[in-house]
Amino acid sequence: MNALLLLMGLLVLAYIGSFLVGGRALRGIGLPSGAEYVALGFVLGPHVLGIVERSMLESFEPIVQVALGWLALVIGIDYGFAGERRVGPKSLALGLTSALVTGGAVAAAVMAVLSRVALVPTTMDGWLLAGGLGAAGAETTRHAVRWVTERHHAKGPVSNLLNEMSHADDVVPLLVLAVLFAATQKEAHVPWQVPLYVWVSTTIALGLVLGAVAALLLGGEFTLHATWGVLFGTSMLAIGTAARLDLSSLSVMFFMGVALAAVSPHHSLLREAVAPTERPVLLPALLLAGARIDLNVLRSRYVVIVIVAALLARVLGKFLSGLLVRVTRSARGASPAVGLALLSSGALSIAIGLAFALRFPGVVGDTVLLASALSAIFGEFVAPATLRRVLEGVGEVRAAAPESTPALPEVP
Amino acid sequence: MSNPAVKAPPARKLLQAGLLIVISGVLFVATRVVPEMHGGSGTIAAVGFLLLAGTLLSELVELLGIPHLTGYLLAGILAGPHVLHLIDHRSVERLSSVNALALALIAMAGGAELKMELLKKGFRSLGWATLLQSLLVPVLMTSVFMAVRPLIPFAKPLTLSALAGVGLLWGIMSVTRSPSATLGILSQTRAQGPVARFILTFVMTSDLVVVVLLALGLTVARPLIEPGAAFSGAAFRRLAHEILGSVSLGTTLGIVLVLYVRLVGRQLLVVFIALGFGLTEVLRYLNFEPLLTFMVAGFLVQNLSSQGEKFLHAIEQTGGVVYVVFFATAGADLDVPLLRLLWPVALILTGSRALISWGVSRLAGRIANDPPTVLRWGWSGLVSQAGLALGLGSLVAREFPSIGGGFRALAIATVAINELVGPVLFKLALDRAGETSEEPRLTIPSLRPPPPPVVE
Repeated sequence: MNALLLLMGLLVLAYIGSFLVGGRALRGIGLPSGAEYVALGFVLGPHVLGIVERSMLESFEPIVQVALGWLALVIGIDYGFAGERRVGPKSLALGLTSALVTGGAVAAAVMAVLSRVALVPTTMDGWLLAGGLGAAGAETTRHAVRWVTERHHAKGPVSNLLNEMSHADDVVPLLVLAVLFAATQKEAHVPWQVPLYVWVSTTIALGLVLGAVAALLLGGEFTLHATWGVLFGTSMLAIGTAARLDLSSLSVMFFMGVALAAVSPHHSLLREAVAPTERPVLLPALLLAGARIDLNVLRSRYVVIVIVAALLARVLGKFLSGLLVRVTRSARGASPAVGLALLSSGALSIAIGLAFALRFPGVVGDTVLLASALSAIFGEFVAPATLRRVLEGVGEVRAAAPESTPALPEVP
Repeated sequence: MSNPAVKAPPARKLLQAGLLIVISGVLFVATRVVPEMHGGSGTIAAVGFLLLAGTLLSELVELLGIPHLTGYLLAGILAGPHVLHLIDHRSVERLSSVNALALALIAMAGGAELKMELLKKGFRSLGWATLLQSLLVPVLMTSVFMAVRPLIPFAKPLTLSALAGVGLLWGIMSVTRSPSATLGILSQTRAQGPVARFILTFVMTSDLVVVVLLALGLTVARPLIEPGAAFSGAAFRRLAHEILGSVSLGTTLGIVLVLYVRLVGRQLLVVFIALGFGLTEVLRYLNFEPLLTFMVAGFLVQNLSSQGEKFLHAIEQTGGVVYVVFFATAGADLDVPLLRLLWPVALILTGSRALISWGVSRLAGRIANDPPTVLRWGWSGLVSQAGLALGLGSLVAREFPSIGGGFRALAIATVAINELVGPVLFKLALDRAGETSEEPRLTIPSLRPPPPPVVE
């Protein structure tokens, strides 16, 4: 298969994705995490059918970077909002805590395993692997909770709380990513010694400055009402500059989205405009992520142990988060398994895995990508069913047959 | 004269200038901290920067009455490898892949702008202009080229017959115009009137004429430049294959697009990207002419269906972003040192071409009884040159390696001048002819929803 055919294939996927968003033709089809596209990419990739070759994937790296960056921008613009509502301080705190607890549990488990086995050559690689797996495992995908609540017409304090938490936790893994990328700056690029905090601050500042630039270009009386041009232009500049400086473009774009939403008076219009682009960008990115998965990494049995430890620690972390959720007044009556309802991971998790695979090719990157994909698949089996049971338990869902997913907004 | 409707208050211009400095500063610092690029990151940043800087600079130069297109070019020149070096050679090369998409959009928009009723109405005028421009400009420019031989380094050692052959190729190159520049200016000014109509139809149809002339020129020039070479009709066979194939495929594409716009009508952006990159590659493989194919497709959508306006609107929405990057990349690609070296002879050749185009335009206009505004300003859109001329220069370089390098360099230098001066002249003429619209067309869709209709 040549690169042109792959590009056409990705465009077809983007096209299908746009209709999934529109909900006109394929309403209700697809998993919230998009794990099936990862699986499709894996089947098409070098390990199974070999239709998409590894060299071709490398030539598509810039497109992948742009796609991942755009996803982070969409997440950033939407950060702190659940639908039209702002996420409350309680949900925000719980979301952040859940991400910290889960990510921390995963990283600690991985470090514990690494202290006993020699999987990676240096301590720094060990930190990278632990941090990467922790970052990829920290989040709960925004779509999973919404998918269940809308599908089953759930309404009530618990579903609200869980939905808001899933909209509040993204900042943690993206900050971790900013630190890990900054910590591994290639010194050959920069002729002088720059402290870690300067690189991390640069990551955040770059996003905030370009987000403010985009907001000013869009806002007020400005004649340049060029939404897509401005968003596309500032995004490309941000992604390219971050990549040039070896910073995390995902983190830069997330903070750009946050700044854009904070500064622009058109915040809600912006969210309406960019939200439908998420699926068309996500599906090709997930396919490429699937194709990029390298099972050769499993030749080392230590990798299996590390991944299993990470997945178990993630379950533990989310379970503990659930216990914290039950402390709140609104979720006091919820089942102790409520934390397992937060196990869904998706776009951001796989995006982090793919970003790691691109930046740290080899054991570290391949392990993080594989673990993030497995985590998404595992989450699909456990979380939606658990969430439904939890919501039935608190009387927010009738135990009736589910109806089809309500239509999402049309693509403008 | 600038359009008053698009004048912005000084505070807004200051804001634009400030933001331009900020984004330039970001890229300046990044390129200085990490001068060596890796992967495609330089290209990604270049696209973003050219898009933003091109748009902002175009808004700023508007204060001087300079068209947006020139602003895009200037942004590219300033950011490019020869001035500030914010964008390096490799990124500029990689960005040239955007050309395929831009040219597909330009050709489809150009075809869709050619309405049958306009062609019928201006047939006499168009016919005379095409005939005389295609005959007289090559002949006169061949003479000029031969006359300035002492100033052209690569022409000095040529025999008289070889000089005539090279001069003929130069003359044919002089007939090329720039559909992209024409559509860019018309898109900005929303000009409507006899001058805009005449130039649009002439420039779009002249591409077809150039393709035919080139085949003829190569056949005649080869035995003159390379004495051992025999006259061959192979070029005409290739030409027939190219034209017939392109028209057939363009017709098929047009029908498919009509059906798509009518039955689905959504996600045209993805369709355009697939056509721009995918179909262009297929056309190149088949040795068909992409510009002609897409132009025929656009023409069919406009004239054989009721979807023309919807189709044009979709192209405008997508094209807004693509055109800025396309022209800014052209600016970044401009070889400033070469222009500095060859500017005297390039200036003579471009000046002569403009003068000859003006004279021939007046002559054709008189014969065809054109309206006074067309007679006066009809030549103004014929000065711009861009991709087609450069492509022709590269083709000559490939076909005749002994003189090709010098020929191509001179072509680049003259195109650079025409690229900068042509759009300014065309916009000035449209303003003077009173055809510029009072309402500026937004090149990129606004975030703001359209205002609700006023009910009286």
